[in-house]
Amino acid sequence: MTTSTTMVEVRGLAKQFKAANGTPFFAVKDVDLDIRKGEIYSLLGPNGAGKTTTISMIGGLIAPTRGDAKIGGYSITKQPLDAKRLLGVVPQEIALYPTLTARQNLEFFGRMYGMSGAALKSRVDEVLEFIDLTDKQNERVDKFSGGMKRRVNIGIGLLHKPQLMYMDEPTVGIDPQNRRRILDTVLRMRDEFGMTVLYTSHLMEEVQEISDRVGIMDHGEIMAIGTVGELIQKIGEEDMLIFRVGTQSVSSVQLERLKTVEGVTSVTYEQTAKAANGEGNGSLPIDGRVVARAKRGRQALPDLIGLANADGIEIQSVEVREPDLEAVFLSLTGRALRD
Amino acid sequence: MILQKLLTLAWREIYVTFTDRSLLLILVVTPLVLATIIGSAFSGLIGAGGGRDVPVSDVSTVIVNQDQGLADGTNHGQIFIDLLVPPADLSPEAANAESILFELTNAVTLDDPEAAREGVSTGAYVVAIIIPPDFSERIGVSQDDMTIEPTTIEVIGNESAPISANVVTMVVRSIANDIAAGNITIASTIEALIDRATSDLGFGMEFLAANNSGEFNPDFDAAFTTAAASITIEQQTVSGDVVGFNPLVTFGSAQAVFFMTFTALYGVASLLDDRKDGTLQRLIMSPTPRWVILIGKIIGTFVTCVLQVSLLIIGLAVIGILLQGEVTFIWGNNPLGVFAVVLAVAFAGSGIGVFVSGIVKTQEQSNIVVTVIAMVFGILGGAFFTVQGIPIIRDLTQLTPNYWAVDAFTRLSQLDNTIGLNLIVLVALGAAFFTAGLFLASRRLEF
Repeated sequence: MTTSTTMVEVRGLAKQFKAANGTPFFAVKDVDLDIRKGEIYSLLGPNGAGKTTTISMIGGLIAPTRGDAKIGGYSITKQPLDAKRLLGVVPQEIALYPTLTARQNLEFFGRMYGMSGAALKSRVDEVLEFIDLTDKQNERVDKFSGGMKRRVNIGIGLLHKPQLMYMDEPTVGIDPQNRRRILDTVLRMRDEFGMTVLYTSHLMEEVQEISDRVGIMDHGEIMAIGTVGELIQKIGEEDMLIFRVGTQSVSSVQLERLKTVEGVTSVTYEQTAKAANGEGNGSLPIDGRVVARAKRGRQALPDLIGLANADGIEIQSVEVREPDLEAVFLSLTGRALRD
Repeated sequence: MILQKLLTLAWREIYVTFTDRSLLLILVVTPLVLATIIGSAFSGLIGAGGGRDVPVSDVSTVIVNQDQGLADGTNHGQIFIDLLVPPADLSPEAANAESILFELTNAVTLDDPEAAREGVSTGAYVVAIIIPPDFSERIGVSQDDMTIEPTTIEVIGNESAPISANVVTMVVRSIANDIAAGNITIASTIEALIDRATSDLGFGMEFLAANNSGEFNPDFDAAFTTAAASITIEQQTVSGDVVGFNPLVTFGSAQAVFFMTFTALYGVASLLDDRKDGTLQRLIMSPTPRWVILIGKIIGTFVTCVLQVSLLIIGLAVIGILLQGEVTFIWGNNPLGVFAVVLAVAFAGSGIGVFVSGIVKTQEQSNIVVTVIAMVFGILGGAFFTVQGIPIIRDLTQLTPNYWAVDAFTRLSQLDNTIGLNLIVLVALGAAFFTAGLFLASRRLEF
């Protein structure tokens, strides 16, 4: 149920497509989610998880196969124009008219949001200043760098002062400096303008940095929702200590001895096949690793290394992974975000 | 609010087209240049080259020689028949081999001028040449009277074949100029004198004495200098309007409509470009109904087409003035009619554009379909050469907006304002394609 603090309410949203061979499949499967006013809500998931399809339905671009989404209480299927008036859009691709100038692009889309006259002109000036392109406003955007185009792309979304800003992977394909600028802009939208931001990304680091809450998505389903802290808590806030041991095998007795170190909750041995290097008799070399989980991994590390050496385990390298969204995703889905 | 959005969408289409110099070069400058080149080439068909490269043949021509001739039996009107009507005892092949003019006109004779006019009206003949009863009397010269009085030969052309009519008019003008200039007239006069001298001994002796004494000394120079402008060749439509056929009109309007077709078809089909670059998605996610987005694009394309054709019409008029060296409006005396045709053909083109945008799914398909349709319409519409002489093709041309628009422009240029049918057909074509196309094109806005 929509409350005064809810900006977006999604219930049972699903979308069915047909594969190239004609087989129907659901790209989004009965998604439920609520986004509160004034928060940055991120959908995190690998490419193909269904993030863009989900927000395309919320934004009224794609008609849902079933279910509905409400923006500010307006149903996107029944009151689409009212819902869209509250929505600012920053699509994944740079959606600008290349032969128009930055100002002309802003004015064009401003008019499409019902703005006109002096109010439009004044607002365009403000937005140009906000995106730091006042001095380039009369240049055609096809002459702009990728980062500058991204800023105009964001500026158009901001023009009509939307209550909800939809940003679909806005940092894809740009340099670190412009990425930093965009992330700062997202934070300013919330902090200075009180906007609600629906943000999608497959980059764990930026989602972790800016999000108030995160929905982890995979195979068209929301796997978990919460703050970054809440999600990490779900996997027990344990550090992961990874010891690479090459082709050496490790016995269960050796693993049990390692588990006796204070703070260690579990120790496992995994073998994975390395990529073939074209040498040898054709069989793939084995990459063995011992994975220990501990509440305070760095404190347990010296004892683990010492015990392993004493027990004849030759450690080739050590990696400490503190709990993050990547680990959460791995824990929830059994695969990495970048897989 | 909706109106503002429609105007904004349309403005963008127009602005983008008319601020792109490369595009303007293609859409406006190229057709002007092509029309000028082709028009100039056709207007000079019967020039110094003697018409050896005439690309038309068997122009169905009827000659009505009403010339009563002179008392001495001279009949200058007969010269046209001798030059244009193949002798009955020659096969068509032999006749063609004997004279390029036989091959060109395939002429026959009639006695009744009204029957000839009727024949042109029904399409039985493309051209009728009507020589007045006093033709020989007015242009005949004698030793006592070397002046030529003004006279007029009527050349009546079928409106559906203005080029053929123009070619025959130029042939008639060429023959008439030769007659008027004196070389044929004087030769035939001398021939008549010799005939009479040989058959009438008394006259023969007088003629010989006069010649020997220098008393027979005709002023050939007078004939050459005063006669050339005395015969008027008046090209008319069947309704009797005197026209000055201008190839710039036919080829210019055909080129204008041909290039407008590209604008119309690519204009609406650019929905695919907008879809590819994401601007269409962005528009759909704004509080703008999808039908407004589609109609806005169509309005923009329509207005772009109107402006493009209008610019070409004005440009061609200026070129016409420059080529003719006098201030005349080559499109006739009905500018409102011309603008009505511009609106109607832009509407028809935009309608076809909507339809095409509905049937193509990718930019690659769009490029192929647009090019094929525009080229076929352009060829049938006479953008490059006339196809009116090819029976089956002639009928097919009437399925294209190009034909009806070019025909309307040609009629207006010939002071014939009967373009109602043309306007109705163009609007009907546009409406039919709009109706079918709107449904299909709306699918391009679905994701």
